[in-house]
Amino acid sequence: MEFFLQQLLNAVSLGGIYALLALGLAVVFSIVALINFAHGELMTVAGYVLFVCILYAVPLPIAVVAAIGAAAVAAAATERLAFRPMRRADPTSLMLTSFAVSAILKVLFQNGISARPKPVPLPPELSGTLTFGPVRLGTVPLASILVTCLSLAALTLFLKRTVMGKAMRAAAEDFQVLRLMGIRANRVIAAAFALSGMLAGISAALWVAQRGSVDPLMGFVPVLKAFVASVIGGLGSLSGAVAGGFALGIAEVLFQAYLPEAALPFRDAFVLGVVILILLWRPDGLIPAKTGRRS
Amino acid sequence: MRLWFALPRTAWLSAGLLSAALALAALLVRALMGAGGDNIATLMLLQAAAVLALAVFSGNSGITSFGHSAFMGLGAYAAALMTMPAAVQKTALPNLPAWLQGHELGLLAALAVAALVGIGVGMASGAVVARLSTGSAAIGTLAFLIILHVCLVGARDITRGSQTFYGVPRLTGFGVALATVVLFTFIARLFREGRVGLALRASRENEVAAAALGVNVGRMRLFSWALSITLACVAGALYGHYLGAFSPKDFYFDLIFLLIAMLIVGGRYSVTGALTGVVMLTAVVQILRQAEAGIDIGFVQVPPIFGLPQLGLGLALLMTIWARPIGMVGLSELSPATFAAKLADPPPAATPAPRAEAAARSLAVRDVTVRFGGLAALENVSFTVPTGQVTGLIGPNGAGKTTLVNVICGQQRPTSGAVLLGDIRLSDLPPHRVARVGLARTFQNIRLFDRLTALENVTVAAQAAGHGRAVAEELAMAELQRVGLAGRWNELAEAFAYGDRRRLEIARALALDPEFLLLDEPAAGMNPAETDRLIAMLEELRRERPIGILVIEHDMRLIMRLSDRMVVLNKGQKIAEGTPEDIRNDPAVIEAYIGTKRPTLNQRGEMQ
Repeated sequence: MEFFLQQLLNAVSLGGIYALLALGLAVVFSIVALINFAHGELMTVAGYVLFVCILYAVPLPIAVVAAIGAAAVAAAATERLAFRPMRRADPTSLMLTSFAVSAILKVLFQNGISARPKPVPLPPELSGTLTFGPVRLGTVPLASILVTCLSLAALTLFLKRTVMGKAMRAAAEDFQVLRLMGIRANRVIAAAFALSGMLAGISAALWVAQRGSVDPLMGFVPVLKAFVASVIGGLGSLSGAVAGGFALGIAEVLFQAYLPEAALPFRDAFVLGVVILILLWRPDGLIPAKTGRRS
Repeated sequence: MRLWFALPRTAWLSAGLLSAALALAALLVRALMGAGGDNIATLMLLQAAAVLALAVFSGNSGITSFGHSAFMGLGAYAAALMTMPAAVQKTALPNLPAWLQGHELGLLAALAVAALVGIGVGMASGAVVARLSTGSAAIGTLAFLIILHVCLVGARDITRGSQTFYGVPRLTGFGVALATVVLFTFIARLFREGRVGLALRASRENEVAAAALGVNVGRMRLFSWALSITLACVAGALYGHYLGAFSPKDFYFDLIFLLIAMLIVGGRYSVTGALTGVVMLTAVVQILRQAEAGIDIGFVQVPPIFGLPQLGLGLALLMTIWARPIGMVGLSELSPATFAAKLADPPPAATPAPRAEAAARSLAVRDVTVRFGGLAALENVSFTVPTGQVTGLIGPNGAGKTTLVNVICGQQRPTSGAVLLGDIRLSDLPPHRVARVGLARTFQNIRLFDRLTALENVTVAAQAAGHGRAVAEELAMAELQRVGLAGRWNELAEAFAYGDRRRLEIARALALDPEFLLLDEPAAGMNPAETDRLIAMLEELRRERPIGILVIEHDMRLIMRLSDRMVVLNKGQKIAEGTPEDIRNDPAVIEAYIGTKRPTLNQRGEMQ
């Protein structure tokens, strides 16, 4: 029972991180059709800001806010410098641009900071477990789930209640019409990138809390997973991204917990194999994105 | 299956020229780079083979593959297990399953094994790639990269896991690499010009239009992916026998990043571009690798920068996409025509043989209803398009015309009812089957294959109709002549002006030799002179061929003059059907268009 609950907790917290990352990818993809390979580097930026803040004994909440802000600024900066000049390019060129940006940023991190992992010590009250009657559960996964839920709720409010949020949803369905309504395209796009950066920053904080260190390749693996999650959910679909993220996280943890010993090294291959079966069944993902296009 | 030697002579000559140029470059590198020259030249050739493998799929389909490096790894391990001396195998891989032990094959046999593995894995993974949309497919290939990497690391008994796999005989020398690249150049170059390659390039430019012209995009992707993966496995096998010792990391992200950068910088749309990119970036990487340890230029000391080649590749990729997204070489291939324009003669135009006359079938819309949620876009619409006549379909905005077109062409399933061509239910078929059954179409917003030539645009359709390459080109020329564009056969479609684009699209649809032709607002955006030419062309077409034409149009002048019969839709329902004369005087039609009963249409079909 305790084992199962702990695994479930791990699954949901990991799925939450994937969901936040996939959401960040989906927000940008739905508006500018960019599959952003540099999303992982946004996580890395947030990770290093967190590292520096904690090194200089900045209180944790401020450090986390600074990290999220830094990722948002970094996202807006990549948009301004790399993607805005490419506004009219086709999706493949955009994706390759982000691929190149990602490679360049990795080399810069390796040379500017360090190729080796830097430890990020967490305050002791976060590293223990909480006891609920007979079961003990890890604090970090619990906090992670809480943060994920709060983020998702805040994002939903933002998208449904604010003008900018509504503009973003409208842009995802038909960008040209949105522009005809008098909304400034550059502002919506910049805001979408900043939002995706914030989401990357939040996931980075959660990821670092579980790992305890940052390195230049930190964002690489989780963002690869988030790509996969966003495809399972349906590229560019926000609810699909959340569904895909949780599905992938849960699948990974369950396979990890219940695969026989000999098959464990192949866990990711099993998980992705299942993903591919899902895609064969539903090529457009679980919850396909809506677009208003005529032939 | 069309045979490759039926391809235009220029494709063969072009492949020969490219091979010669690359061989020359490789020999120069070998001669000029001193002691390491042989190694660098061989590596360059192997990378050229890998990039060509990638180009067969990514260049033609437009889908970037991130998986190829891992498939190369698969080929490398498979072939190395075959050639490894039994003695080394015993110490390096003590737990190797018996069926993999002690084969000690020669290089050629090992390459054949790698190719077989490639065909098998390529067909299986291709089934997935073929089903996904362009963006999802790219991420699907990324999933393959991870899956294969995880498998190579995980299968410790066979691959030594993430440790170095050693003891592979170094059988790949300069000569072997060169021979392989020449072979690959011919395969890639001829594949690009062949039936599958041309159809794929068309789908890359416009997937919807390619399907509407009878191209089974999924099957084309599957075929090219399987070929591309087979070549990648062979290239990987050779690379493994060049390295002698390797680990799964050698076939992961860094390698695919290099291959993609080479392909994009040189130009993904041509084989010439792929090879140019390999030579250029080989030079860049070699120079930066020297500089990686730090440079001392007299007074300035540049500190060592770890990962400098990666940085250089990233910047090269970035600058290419910013400044020249089609790459250094662009769209044209190195061929004899590069040096002497007169070698590029147009193919002769053939008069299309009259279609074997089956019993004249008609196109029937039967009780078609389409609901989007609660909204009925079409409700019980029925009418027939007879062959040999022009049927006009009109209706105010929001009448359901576009929905009806989508139902007829297989892009939208009706909620109930059906569209029948003879006794075939078109509404059950995917778009490419609709085209082959005998219904061709043009699009409201013109959908040409912009970066293909006019001739290639039309040839795609003629090939889909079942003709071999040579015949298809002759038929295509005939259609270009009909619409008055034969003189511009070798120009890219993107260079054509609006009216010419419309006519090229019609020529392309006609090359399918359809029984029925659906023209979706053919006169939209045309000036009166252009509309007149269009009308003349369609009238001539109707005299020449037993073809049923369905025209959807806003331009009353055109539709009144051209139509034998007309159907009027309003708010999803058919409100009138009859001769243009009947329609002109039908009160229901006038009310739908004008809203009151007062004005009428004059003789020329204009509102008064």
